[in-house]
Amino acid sequence: MNEFADTTFAAPKRRFNWLFAIGVTIVAGVTLLALIGPYIGPYDPTLTTPRVSVPPPSLSEIPGLLFGSFSNTLEHPPHWMGTDSSGYDVFSRVIAAPRTDLTIALAANFVSLGIGAVLGLLAGYFRNWGTELLMRVSDVLQSFPVFISAMVLVALAGRSMGNIVLALALVYTPIYIRLTRAEVLQKKVAGYVEAARAMGTPEIAIAFRHVLPNSMTPALIQSSVTIGFAILLTSGLSFVGAGVRPPTPEWGLSISTGANQIILGEWWPSVFPGIAISITVFGFAVLGNALEERYE
Amino acid sequence: MLKYVSRRVGVGLLQLLALTIAVFFIIRLLPADPVARLVGMNASPEAYAQAEQQLGLHRPLLTQLGVYLGFDPEIAPGLIQASLGVSWVTGEPVLKEIGTFLPVTLQLVTLAFVFAFVLSVPIGMAGALNPGGGADKGVFVYSLFAGSQPEFWWGLLLIYLCFFQWGIAPAPLGLLSPLTSAPEPITGFLLVDAVLRGRFDVLHEALSHLVLPVICLSFVVSGPIIKMIRQNMMRALQSDFILYGRSIGLPKKRIGRYALRAAMAPSMTIIGILYGFMLSGAVLIESVFSLNGIGQYAIRSVLNFDYPAIQGVVLVIAAVSLVIYLLLDLIQAAIDPRIVY
Amino acid sequence: MSNLEKPLLDARDLIVGYPSGGHYSRPVNGASLTIRPREVVGLIGDAGSGKSTLALALMGLVQAPGRILGGSVEFGGQDLTKLSEDELRAFRGRDISAIVQNPRGALNPLIRIGEQISNAYRAHTRATPAEGRAKAIEMLTMVGINDPERRVNAYAHELSGGMAQRAMIAMALAAKPRLLIADEPTSGLDVTIQAQLLDQMWQTVQDTESAILLVSQDLGAIANYCDRVLALHDGKIVEDAPVRQFFAMPQHDYSKEILGLHHAQGDRFPEQVSDAANDILEVEKLRMEFPVRNSDNVVHAVGDFRLNIKAGEAVGLVGESGSGKTTVGRCLVRLLDPTESIIRFDGFDIGSLDQRSMRKFRSRIQFVFQDPFDSVNPRWSVSDILIEPLRQLADMSRAERRKRAEEVMELVGLPVELLERKPRGLGAGILQRINIARALICEPEFLVLDEPTSVLAPRARNALIELLGKLQKELGIALLFITHDLTTVRYLCQRVAVMYLGQIVEEGSVEQVFTAPRHPYSQALLEAHLFPDPDHRRVDHPSDSALDGEIPSPIDLPTGCYLASRCPHADETCRSIPQNLSVLSDGQTVRCWKAEHEEEPAEMAPATKTG
Repeated sequence: MNEFADTTFAAPKRRFNWLFAIGVTIVAGVTLLALIGPYIGPYDPTLTTPRVSVPPPSLSEIPGLLFGSFSNTLEHPPHWMGTDSSGYDVFSRVIAAPRTDLTIALAANFVSLGIGAVLGLLAGYFRNWGTELLMRVSDVLQSFPVFISAMVLVALAGRSMGNIVLALALVYTPIYIRLTRAEVLQKKVAGYVEAARAMGTPEIAIAFRHVLPNSMTPALIQSSVTIGFAILLTSGLSFVGAGVRPPTPEWGLSISTGANQIILGEWWPSVFPGIAISITVFGFAVLGNALEERYE
Repeated sequence: MLKYVSRRVGVGLLQLLALTIAVFFIIRLLPADPVARLVGMNASPEAYAQAEQQLGLHRPLLTQLGVYLGFDPEIAPGLIQASLGVSWVTGEPVLKEIGTFLPVTLQLVTLAFVFAFVLSVPIGMAGALNPGGGADKGVFVYSLFAGSQPEFWWGLLLIYLCFFQWGIAPAPLGLLSPLTSAPEPITGFLLVDAVLRGRFDVLHEALSHLVLPVICLSFVVSGPIIKMIRQNMMRALQSDFILYGRSIGLPKKRIGRYALRAAMAPSMTIIGILYGFMLSGAVLIESVFSLNGIGQYAIRSVLNFDYPAIQGVVLVIAAVSLVIYLLLDLIQAAIDPRIVY
Repeated sequence: MSNLEKPLLDARDLIVGYPSGGHYSRPVNGASLTIRPREVVGLIGDAGSGKSTLALALMGLVQAPGRILGGSVEFGGQDLTKLSEDELRAFRGRDISAIVQNPRGALNPLIRIGEQISNAYRAHTRATPAEGRAKAIEMLTMVGINDPERRVNAYAHELSGGMAQRAMIAMALAAKPRLLIADEPTSGLDVTIQAQLLDQMWQTVQDTESAILLVSQDLGAIANYCDRVLALHDGKIVEDAPVRQFFAMPQHDYSKEILGLHHAQGDRFPEQVSDAANDILEVEKLRMEFPVRNSDNVVHAVGDFRLNIKAGEAVGLVGESGSGKTTVGRCLVRLLDPTESIIRFDGFDIGSLDQRSMRKFRSRIQFVFQDPFDSVNPRWSVSDILIEPLRQLADMSRAERRKRAEEVMELVGLPVELLERKPRGLGAGILQRINIARALICEPEFLVLDEPTSVLAPRARNALIELLGKLQKELGIALLFITHDLTTVRYLCQRVAVMYLGQIVEEGSVEQVFTAPRHPYSQALLEAHLFPDPDHRRVDHPSDSALDGEIPSPIDLPTGCYLASRCPHADETCRSIPQNLSVLSDGQTVRCWKAEHEEEPAEMAPATKTG
């Protein structure tokens, strides 16, 4: 009886993935900034300085400034990314912004993921008129135009972080309901579900212990994408004046402050926060993709 | 098929009705005071009451809803009478206003989409042909990158470079300069009207103003399209029927055609969703380039608490999206015989 | 046999590799084989042994990113491994062609069948589209598809599995290749369709004077159609022998192992349990109907089902797909609630209990599912999977549960170390043992097994059947063994019941039914079944009791005998009078008034005398 003599009992190995590493690095970096960003900048990100529209130092000045700031011989710390037309230090605001952007994005994602997963589980596992109604409501919510709905909700409810989180959660929840439900519909006919039933496990226990954990993968992968998009949406809302209020450090708000000057050639207040968004959202997208490849 | 279409349209109308009612209540339940916004914070209580009366906000909520839906035509015409109400800010009918703003957006988004699609299909395919190769990795990283970009920021960047630095683009101030007289509208789509009226100067000017916003939007939307084409194409190329086709010696060209068709069918749904998403996301790019599209109209209405206009915008965008979904589902059904109605 | 003829295909030391973590894994590692003109060669090997990879590599085809790392494939004086992709393309389909398993996946879903066949033909000829279409019709006729003028316009999803497989054969043979590689062509098809299809393929290839390489895990198919057998193990051909010699005296250990059960059993049938044993299960009545969506009709999945099982007895329940055998199994363990039933388990009627009251019987009746991969929660450890029933049904401490888990692992012959593993990466055979262990952990008296061996490779299947036989004897568990595979029933079961359209049509001891089936349906089923016996090859003894026509719809059942529309002996009485299950004098039961009257069992063709 050596039918499994050639089976190795060691778990299979995984290969190193460059993209995954890049994604993890970016996400870890942004998370770190969200924790300590507001404290490590040379200036208070919410206070103006008397110096207005100062351009960033040129490359040749940087060594001197670095030396100066370490030896404390400068009259004021350098404006690494210049100042905007109100006198805010762009660099301090760029590194303080993850606190706002990431908090909103994470909170919105996990609120909608939590609600969406549970509702999706119920809607997929127990099919009755109640869950059908739930799906119809979710359909209607999903037909809301995302950006405009978020804009309306925030503008009318008041431009606070909490309201932005709720608005984003409202537009993202239907996505999670659908994703989880589709997966539950597949997983609830799995053999292990029937096996659990054949040993008398109560339905609700089957749903939460067997079906839910096995149906979460697509939603968790989607999370990474959703967090990235939530950051884009948050900054977009600020850009059109329906996001957080100034002087909260937020990337979109910084871009918006600089937008009017860009035609006049004052590029730095907008370009640096934009690069930050670009890298951050890319990092989340890469991470999400690596997870998708690994788990699907 | 006719039966399917009419059923879809029926379901769509129900969905829009539900959406209308939902939006109606949501914006009225939120703690915003449109009257104060209109008459100003320091207005006298009498002025306030008068404004409230004028807007019909003194009536009970359900009556207001009835009016909006068109059950009380003697008070004001509503949805049933094909009216979206009157803007509280301008006093113009909302439907008419949307009629002038919407074509600008549709024109922009459609151009960007066609442009992005035409470029994305060959790029996505090139990636799929040699999975894991250098070209594929490049295509893949590009698609992830493009799909995660703030398009409004790229707009500003392009304006800085093309307008300020190099001077090769016109100022980002709308489709036409104030000095140009627009042609009398026929379809409402400026590009089409310019051609129909033979105003090629207008066509040229509008196109030159559209170059940067279209590039921006197509760049961002090319990310998900390339990713999807690449993925579907790979799946098609790895499918059993392609392997089998090779094992009976079908020519390369035939194999390619089999795979392309198989990759296109499932792409349609996602294209539809992206289009709907762009339609609402065009707000940002319109704002950057001062294009007077539905997005600008939405911002104006939202910031002024102009409820009828807000409701109109949400409803119209949702309706356009539903029509697009339906059209693309029909295209998909034409490609894939397994989908039957 | 034309042993002296020059080989048609001669592969030497073929190596196929797939890149994995810096080096190549080699599913085919130095395989050598020859195929002569007009010869039918069988290739047998375990799941994942590289059979399919080898078969494709013989045409110079490797699924990306793998490649051929060494060796040669000579065909018609050319080495295929040295040809360019374009030369190879011309070669494939014209000289060597293939059919594969999962025909509906292998046909292009978006293009009509006729156009696909035409494309395949035109890839190798200068035919016009019109000629291609004519060829498609001709080929469809040749592979026995009714109404080919209409079927050329069908899409793959509109065809049944058997029909799609025929369309694929038509496509493969359109350009008259000299060698047809058939990779598991009948997996997933019903017994009767499988036999018809292989007959047709064999006949078509004889007519076109091609050779066949039949890749299969099914010893029955190999024994009945092949002239020579190759066994693939560890990437190499380890045995190459004429079919009779292979079955009689296998040389390599691997071959001996897959034929072990076959040799051990010989002509004997499993011993009957003693008459004194009690009936553990008495199904007096079982009816199950499913509502049809958006209509008032119902699907009559099971109607008038009756069966008794003695303690410690193994009963086979056989039938084709749609016969309702799986539904019966599910009703018995109350995974489904029967429409009407009297099911006595140890004297208690469990058919109408609600799920709560059913709980106390759950530990005594257990179920093993068909798909071993799907039956275990992939996120749980083997240990958690095993003790789940104990948590639900028994009052035990952690240590006691752990001890019990170790006991059952030993019982099913698995190492205790596996308890810490997750199911990921474990083979089908091991997982199915884990499933059986889980079913046994509460010490049940009755076990329902739903096609437990259908996804297993020959070795694992043999081992599992031996294990089940051992458990039945040592633990005295009664088994209901639901399967379409008559060979395993013959090895394992004391009694067998044959189902057709939701009814039992015949029931008796395995010996009675297998040597002298009385119901025309059982006769046809046994006739079509491919027993692994090269001395009674189907191709040498053309059969005559095959059934015509399609199975009637279970929504709209016939008034009389359900088989009347397909039975060669049917007359007016059969068509109008419903048939009852009657017990004959020797204890066998049969649902056929003609068989009842004859009493003398009809003599069967020798194909059922198994060895």
